[in-house]
Amino acid sequence: MHEAIVIGAGLSGLMGALALAEAGLRPLVLAKGHGATHWASGTIDLWGKDERSPRDALRSIVTARPEHPYALIGVDAVADALARFRAVTEAARYPYVGGMDHSVLLPTAAGALRPVALLPITMAAGDVRAGGEMVIAGFHELRDFYPPLAAANLAAQGIAARGVYLQLPPVPRVRDFGPRTLAQLFDDPAFRKQIGRQLRQQRGSATRIGLPAVLGVRDPLGVVADLQLLSGAQVFEIPTLPPSVPGIRLFNVLRAAIERSGGRLQIGSEVIRAEGVGHILTTLCSEAAAREQQHRVRRVLLATGGIAGGGIRTNDAGLVRETALDLPVRMDVNHAGWFAPRFLDPGGHAIYAAGVAADDRLRPLGVDGWPVYENVAVAGATLAGADTLRERSRTGVAIATGWAAGRMLAAYGCDATRSY
Amino acid sequence: MGVMPHDHIELSLEQSLDHCIKCNICTAACPVSAVTDLFPGPKYVGPQAQRFRHERQPAPDESVDYCSGCRVCNEVCPTGVKIAELNARARARLVAERGIPLRNRLISRSEVLGRLGAGPQAPLANLALGFGPLRLALERVLGIARAAPLPKFSRYTFRSWFRRRSAPMANSGPRRQVVYFHGCATNYYEPWVGRAAVAVLEHNGCEVIIAPQRCCGLPLLSNGDFAAARRAHEANVAYLAPYALRGVPIIGTSTSCTLTLKEEAPELLGMRSAMVRTVAEQTFDIFEYLRMMYECGELRADFRPIERTLPYHPPCQLRAHRIGRPALDILELVPGLRLVESHADCCGIAGTYGLKREKYQIGMDVGAPLFETIRRSGSDLAVCDSETCRWQITHGAGVAARHPIEILAKAYGLVI
Amino acid sequence: MRTLTTDVLVIGGGATGAGVLRDLALRGIRCALVEKGDLTHGTTGRYHGLLHSGGRYVVKDPQSAEECARENEILRRIMPHCIEDTGGLFVVTPADDESYADRFVAACRRTGVWVEEIAVSAALRREPLLNPRISRAFAVRDGAADSFLATHANTDDARRYGAQVLTYHVVNGLERVGDRIIGAVCEDLRSGEMVRIHCAAIINATGAWAGKIAALAGLQVSVVAGKGTMVAMNHRIVNTVINRCKMPDDGDIIVPIHTVAVLGTTDIYVPDPDVYSITPEEIRLILDEGEHLIPGVRRMRALRAWAGVRPLYREEDATHDRDIPRTYRLLDHEVRDGVAGMVSIVGGKWTTYRLMAEETVDVVAHRLGVTTPCRTAELRIEASAQPAAPLRPAISHGSAARARFAILASPFYMLGHRLAEVEADDSYGDLVCECELVTREQLEAAIESEGTANLDDLRRDTRLGMGPCQGGFCTYRAAAIWHERRSARYGQAAGAAPATRLLTHFLQERWKGLTPTLWGDQLRQARLDELIYLETLAVDRLPEAIPDETIVTGHAAIATEAG
Repeated sequence: MHEAIVIGAGLSGLMGALALAEAGLRPLVLAKGHGATHWASGTIDLWGKDERSPRDALRSIVTARPEHPYALIGVDAVADALARFRAVTEAARYPYVGGMDHSVLLPTAAGALRPVALLPITMAAGDVRAGGEMVIAGFHELRDFYPPLAAANLAAQGIAARGVYLQLPPVPRVRDFGPRTLAQLFDDPAFRKQIGRQLRQQRGSATRIGLPAVLGVRDPLGVVADLQLLSGAQVFEIPTLPPSVPGIRLFNVLRAAIERSGGRLQIGSEVIRAEGVGHILTTLCSEAAAREQQHRVRRVLLATGGIAGGGIRTNDAGLVRETALDLPVRMDVNHAGWFAPRFLDPGGHAIYAAGVAADDRLRPLGVDGWPVYENVAVAGATLAGADTLRERSRTGVAIATGWAAGRMLAAYGCDATRSY
Repeated sequence: MGVMPHDHIELSLEQSLDHCIKCNICTAACPVSAVTDLFPGPKYVGPQAQRFRHERQPAPDESVDYCSGCRVCNEVCPTGVKIAELNARARARLVAERGIPLRNRLISRSEVLGRLGAGPQAPLANLALGFGPLRLALERVLGIARAAPLPKFSRYTFRSWFRRRSAPMANSGPRRQVVYFHGCATNYYEPWVGRAAVAVLEHNGCEVIIAPQRCCGLPLLSNGDFAAARRAHEANVAYLAPYALRGVPIIGTSTSCTLTLKEEAPELLGMRSAMVRTVAEQTFDIFEYLRMMYECGELRADFRPIERTLPYHPPCQLRAHRIGRPALDILELVPGLRLVESHADCCGIAGTYGLKREKYQIGMDVGAPLFETIRRSGSDLAVCDSETCRWQITHGAGVAARHPIEILAKAYGLVI
Repeated sequence: MRTLTTDVLVIGGGATGAGVLRDLALRGIRCALVEKGDLTHGTTGRYHGLLHSGGRYVVKDPQSAEECARENEILRRIMPHCIEDTGGLFVVTPADDESYADRFVAACRRTGVWVEEIAVSAALRREPLLNPRISRAFAVRDGAADSFLATHANTDDARRYGAQVLTYHVVNGLERVGDRIIGAVCEDLRSGEMVRIHCAAIINATGAWAGKIAALAGLQVSVVAGKGTMVAMNHRIVNTVINRCKMPDDGDIIVPIHTVAVLGTTDIYVPDPDVYSITPEEIRLILDEGEHLIPGVRRMRALRAWAGVRPLYREEDATHDRDIPRTYRLLDHEVRDGVAGMVSIVGGKWTTYRLMAEETVDVVAHRLGVTTPCRTAELRIEASAQPAAPLRPAISHGSAARARFAILASPFYMLGHRLAEVEADDSYGDLVCECELVTREQLEAAIESEGTANLDDLRRDTRLGMGPCQGGFCTYRAAAIWHERRSARYGQAAGAAPATRLLTHFLQERWKGLTPTLWGDQLRQARLDELIYLETLAVDRLPEAIPDETIVTGHAAIATEAG
């Protein structure tokens, strides 16, 4: 019998598992595969739909949009999650900086400016408001990063920037220079020494240098420090197309923290159904070779993601379903209204707000408005009520609701009333 | 020119490429493409290249042969593409077109090799295989890497031991029957693993049956010899189905053999009869089975403390069962014993992959992080459920490697 | 205003126009072609890619069937590199009238369409996803044709003989003096410059737009624009063209072309070939009908949907579009309307484009006093793309290299062609579009080629963005590479704005085709693509991110899909 099972190994699942592990519940994380950590930039974005500070935006959401995931848990719970997240990354010597008071604007690989609340320190020198001329440097061999385009777009926004290509030093690899391979190369001090020297030559009057976010997997801070020393400029990472090296680092940090506290991850095991007694979920079944694996369980955190993560799935007939526990999905718009005619429509596409409705303890709600299960909490993109990608709140919602769900689940069954 | 008769299992395999959203999670996780340019990565070779393959046209690509079949890609894929199986199928097509090299034909016949080497002649065979010039010749002529870890033949086979041993003392009460699938490695190289398994099972009230059995066929499958693999699996199903149909579980200590019985053979070969399915459903990894007994309160807990911290590597073929870490679940019941999971993707041997001259170094590079973790642990003993991985660990990290069942037998104080 | 003089002006850069241009050029006639968008931007680029055996028309339209059967063999001979010899099957499903099959066979015999009945078991072995309940199966010589490549092959060959090709030139007016048309006035959409073209004859090869062009000269041509909607499946669920053995109707064919299988089509009258959209009902109909051929097809991943407009010439009132003959008509306006200097070629289908061109040019050449006979059926069109990658000696496995060689050396296109090239070059690390195996080298060559105006043009040239991720990974890469190449040519002054517009425009073009089939895995893909472009790259926050409607392919004159 498991005290707690977390379904999904993205940010929300990992943060929830961390909370459960730190409460001594030895959670098991069951996941079909790796999650959105590996796709995304590795930053924590709280709010970016408008220019308000995250704190102000969240405060107004709590009152104005009561069904928004932020509103379900409240601003204090978000602050709590951020604090714990920062402490965990700090302890892992991969610290995140920033907070709720203002967003940092970071250059993207296309040269746009992206509002971010928490960022790994390896990206910190990219804050455009810090001022200072930039060099954006990359490699011809990396097909996922183009310094001239990024620099030209930055320049168009009044940020002095120049794009340069570096010479790849002779290395054993000859063909595949994807982000992972480059990150492995940067793990080698001799390699970064050669890069650092080139950066010094290319720097000119610039005070900071942006590189694709491939600066090592094992010791990115060491890589950045070395490059700064050698180049004489501040060095920062710019995230680009998947796979995301900063995302992989973040996954590793959280996994290690969970395991240190007694949790375990079982990747490659998709939860396909659940059994319960009344309003208590008792058993999860995961797909396995030749037959299902059954897990008896006391508490479940559902964090399987939304449409991208696979937690919410649609079919050609316009049905929308939750894939692991078959919970009711809230979707207010019918099939014909799923999409706006313009891809980049600022209002987004209605289908992406589909998800599982939850109460203020993040318990999944049935169509009758009552919790389907008392001992289940839902977190992250599986929750209904927001297109977090358009709001630029996806990762913020993930860690905040994940952490809050884990904390509330840990308390489940502990108080006398048994209705946590 | 179909390699296989068509069936729905095969179709579902190939249709699974439709799940691919190109996200590169598999590319980032593949331990082989991490160390060599010869393998372009699972996404490229799997769902991507599959869209350009045509049943009735020549197979245009050979890089698929550098897939080690470790299945890490399947494990991490968030959308459910059966990448490793797509690759295995594509390789089988290459083999069907160009034939099987003699070397691969040889090293995939683990049963034949075992019968040749194990027994009283073992010392001689081992001496020969430990003889540098012979290994050099084997490398030159056959392409078997001279440094690759070949196991030592046992002087006796597990089956001969089992036949000759005195019957266990009957416990009181009804005994549950189990079939033990020992596999080639236990029979010809490491009979002590089987002895430990038998001891632990009997200690827990099981009557152990050693049914006739053949090689599970995994080495044949991973070398693309699907025809021979099919014969092997058909034979095993014929031997095992009578038990499976009666509900007698088939328990193995080799995670590769059990995975093959459960899934690899039926899926890759498109075998889907009720008998095949029943055998698959009744097959268990030994710790998976012990964990079930534990969950039902039927596992004995008379453990003696073992005050040790040991590195544990869950082999790829165990992870492919998608059953978690049953050996950890059980061994953590042993007082004082602490197993530290490696988190390395793969040891690099991948069955017969790391034995091949052109792949030996790739295998060693793949295994390097694991070897380093084990070395850094300071332990002189590592724990791993799969035989070829244990040999590779010993070869790469220079420490002894044991099956977890041996540790458990020790915890029970069983003499084996 | 620039002025240009030629003997024959061809209007329309689709299959027919390109075929006409080549035919003229081979006969030594000075000629130029104008196209308002990119080559194949109209119907040619929006068809399913079927090289007809003729089987489809044997009962209903025997003349078309005969034409198709003859032309099929000719095209296989003159442009094999544009054709995949998939073969075709006509199958009788439980939903079909069983008596049609015998009529079908008899009609094949009458019209000279090659046919052979095969055992149902053989058909199922060949196409395992095919409905196991089919009762009869007939093999025919259908194939798959790359209409982009074929059109370019024709114009490139014509250029070798001195022809001129002007893309993004829209005809705004025809110059008519009395009863004679003497030229056209065009606008270069990229520069805004007006171009007057003097000529002795105009060939109106604008298909569904023929009525609009004729109207510029005060002539009336009734072309019924029949919209045909198609759905591309994510991979080749079949490797043979599959037809229902029945009277042609909606949704009764599946064409394997390149890496996809196209389900088609519908036939819906649209009043204006420039304004139409795809309805959910059409998609449902196509998938419902597809279920008869491939059970479960609706659960498989659809990539996208698109529509093209067939140019059906209406002579008298036909009650239904499908009743209008599929054969073509040559309208000699001098004979028909008493206005000299222009002919219109309307109707027809891709498979007969060459024959249509031949007949058209025969008339025009005769008027010009040129007696050189048509040679397009004899002279093979050489592949104009860069020569196939040199084959490297095999490293380890000789037979795999031989397999690659067999694919690359085949006169016909084979599905594994690109994979074989990438393997031979070890260029997998250089793929810009990973789904369709487009290398950086190929992309750069296309960027540098004349007339390319945007990423959608590159797509037609290279198949960029046509695979599962629909531009998710390659749009950013291609826009950035474009930026670098154009900066190298024009200096940094160009800035990033053009690249941003191309990027957002291409994402929007892909989105249009995606939305009709967006569910399941493809919706998941689209959301990952959003994550990339909105979260990681934040392209919506770039200056000039929302495409300006006046950029070249957004031009009202050449927008072909309303939404």
